[in-house]
Amino acid sequence: MRFPWPLYLAWKQLFPSQRKISFFSLLAVIGVALGVNVMIVVIAFMQGFQQKFRADIIDSQGHARVVPLNPNPSWSKVLDGLAERKEILGVSPYLQGQLLLQNRSYHAIPFSMGLDPEDGGQVIPLDDFLANGQLLLEGYDSQDVTPIPTMDDLEDEVVFITRQVANRLGVRPTTIIQMKDANATEQADAARGMVRVLRLDPFVPSGQWTVTFLDEESYQIAESASGFKKVGLFKEPPLDLGMGFPIFEVLPGPKAFVEGNEVRFQSFRSSILEVYSPSMIEKAKADELAPPHEVRVGGVFEVPWQGYHSEALIGTMRFMDEMRREEGGCDGFYLKFSNRLAKNEGLLSQYCKDLENELGSAWVVVPWFVENAWFFELLKFEEYLMILIMIPIGLVAAFAIAIALMTSVMRKVREIGLLVAMGGKQTSVGAIFCLQGFIIGSLGAVFGCGLALLFIRYRDALMSLIVSNIAGESGQDDVAQFYDFYSLQVAYPWDSPESLSTFVSFAFFAMAVSTVAGLLPAWRAARMNPAEALRSE
Amino acid sequence: MILSAQGLCKSFRFGEQQIEVLRGVDLELAEASSLSIRGDSGCGKTTLLNLLARLETASEGKIQWKELSLDASTKASTQEIRLRANFLGVVYQAYYLIPELNVLENVLIGASLAGRNRIESKNRARYLLSKMGVEEKQTQIPQKLSGGERQRVAIARALINQPKVVLADEPTGNLDERTGGEVMDLLLESCQQEKSSLLLVTHNRTFAEATDRQAFLQDGSLNPL
Repeated sequence: MRFPWPLYLAWKQLFPSQRKISFFSLLAVIGVALGVNVMIVVIAFMQGFQQKFRADIIDSQGHARVVPLNPNPSWSKVLDGLAERKEILGVSPYLQGQLLLQNRSYHAIPFSMGLDPEDGGQVIPLDDFLANGQLLLEGYDSQDVTPIPTMDDLEDEVVFITRQVANRLGVRPTTIIQMKDANATEQADAARGMVRVLRLDPFVPSGQWTVTFLDEESYQIAESASGFKKVGLFKEPPLDLGMGFPIFEVLPGPKAFVEGNEVRFQSFRSSILEVYSPSMIEKAKADELAPPHEVRVGGVFEVPWQGYHSEALIGTMRFMDEMRREEGGCDGFYLKFSNRLAKNEGLLSQYCKDLENELGSAWVVVPWFVENAWFFELLKFEEYLMILIMIPIGLVAAFAIAIALMTSVMRKVREIGLLVAMGGKQTSVGAIFCLQGFIIGSLGAVFGCGLALLFIRYRDALMSLIVSNIAGESGQDDVAQFYDFYSLQVAYPWDSPESLSTFVSFAFFAMAVSTVAGLLPAWRAARMNPAEALRSE
Repeated sequence: MILSAQGLCKSFRFGEQQIEVLRGVDLELAEASSLSIRGDSGCGKTTLLNLLARLETASEGKIQWKELSLDASTKASTQEIRLRANFLGVVYQAYYLIPELNVLENVLIGASLAGRNRIESKNRARYLLSKMGVEEKQTQIPQKLSGGERQRVAIARALINQPKVVLADEPTGNLDERTGGEVMDLLLESCQQEKSSLLLVTHNRTFAEATDRQAFLQDGSLNPL
């Protein structure tokens, strides 16, 4: 016996010689492990959600906002000063307001923001948002090959709108589909190469485009309605004919193109929206002539942060200026900081305070976590509530262990008497039962942590299994989109101190609760009169 | 004397009734000797053993463990509890082997309680088990042993710490006559070899007669035979 005898006996009573494990021990350890697993997984997922929300919020509004308290005509100097700072990686000025959009008889009043097409992408990853929001046309004899719009497509006469606005107004950006050739198999096409649409700007008109292979060196691009034709060479870069023309890229395959073969495309022009500003509406009320401003839909975007305006429009700063009838205004700047500041909220907060002091009383610098404090307080409250709900799970397990150990004390009365008769201290005999609680708690904690790691590792597969059984195969995408389980970054304990603390806290909680559960049986065993114990039947 | 008692009294209260079980028992057990105590059921034999082992307190009286003089009316001190593991070995009618431990572990638990060296104790446990004729059963669990085998293991456990005194409370009570005889022979022989004194409580006259001295407990008094 290498251990102190109470620990040895406690272990042996749970895992007797010549038997792998007792039924009671198995159930008790499984019970504790499941409890620990549930507690860790729930909190780990909550933290995963928090991390995701953090990343989404920062993506949608940068690390901080600099806001003038009053309209400030010298904002461009401030902008230059901010851009020169080492810790600031990106500055994006913005204008914002509400605009009324109209398409035929449909209306929307989205939150509207003007960004500088050159600086905007430094802070807000609009290209990613445009990729999220892309709407593809589906057809059995065609394939939507529209390239994802980018920030480069943003012009003064072009706007990006959220998917909800697009749906409300029934509009879409320029789209191009490739007609499928029923006589050629896809394999043959792939072997002979392909034609890709590299760029499709918002000014491309509706039309039928044909790329025809003339010989081993050249191809022709033609549009049937306008009669446009242009010949290109394979060895030269793709033909860029300027705005209003798609750029087709011909990618040769292992086999040569067959002369006369053609790839056909159908383009659909972007929708045109009529835009009214509040001042235009006021003018219209006063019977003044106020024709609407017409803009093209350049792209549809989706911001992953659900707290962002679901109905939003992004245009250029000049567009917003024009709509507000203001010259060279600016409502503030979005800032993106270096990793050193971004990782540490304390440093970031201090930097913002210092920056505010330097800019003077005309400006306010608001870090992202201050602007969204309400949301994180809500999440923290949810987390505490979950812990509060889950603690009784641990207590139920503790009661079950206490009852089982108490029964064990009753069953082992004569053994308790014998151990005292043989020279065991009564407190040490009592400790056997307390230690059993400790062992159950420790093993349960270890297996619970292991189970939680497995759950986190295979969360997507498990969620798919659960969701497909509840919502069916078709419901999976909806659930994934709504709950975002499949992109959730749940940290392992070695990845973040927060996750490590969750694992360690719940493991210790289980061990402590199980040990405490053994105290009452231990106290009872320690108080037992050994002579009476030996006489008991 | 290795163990002695003077004027041991013990009474139990059952409601209003006070029952005096022992009325001034005097007892002396010399080193490496044996003494048997007989008496009717319920006469207080087990109570006397429990008092001598300091598992319960007497109403009055004194007990002497070798040179250590003890007030039998007080609870056992920590020093006595520590000493008990080395000074006393106990054998009971119902064996009281721990079902979760195998035979060897059951013997070794006695050594662990006394804080003995693990390797030395293991060798001694194997020696005692071989002496008891159950060496090949050392990895078995108690449930798979016969009554006689269980009691042999219990005797080995009682002797593991080379105690000065072995208290045996009807060790053959659960065994048939032949097996009981074999077990008793082993107990007497082992105690003799280990130079442990034996205090045997039994109903069996033959076994009692095998000890050096005999006494009869009647009406709360111990009378030598």
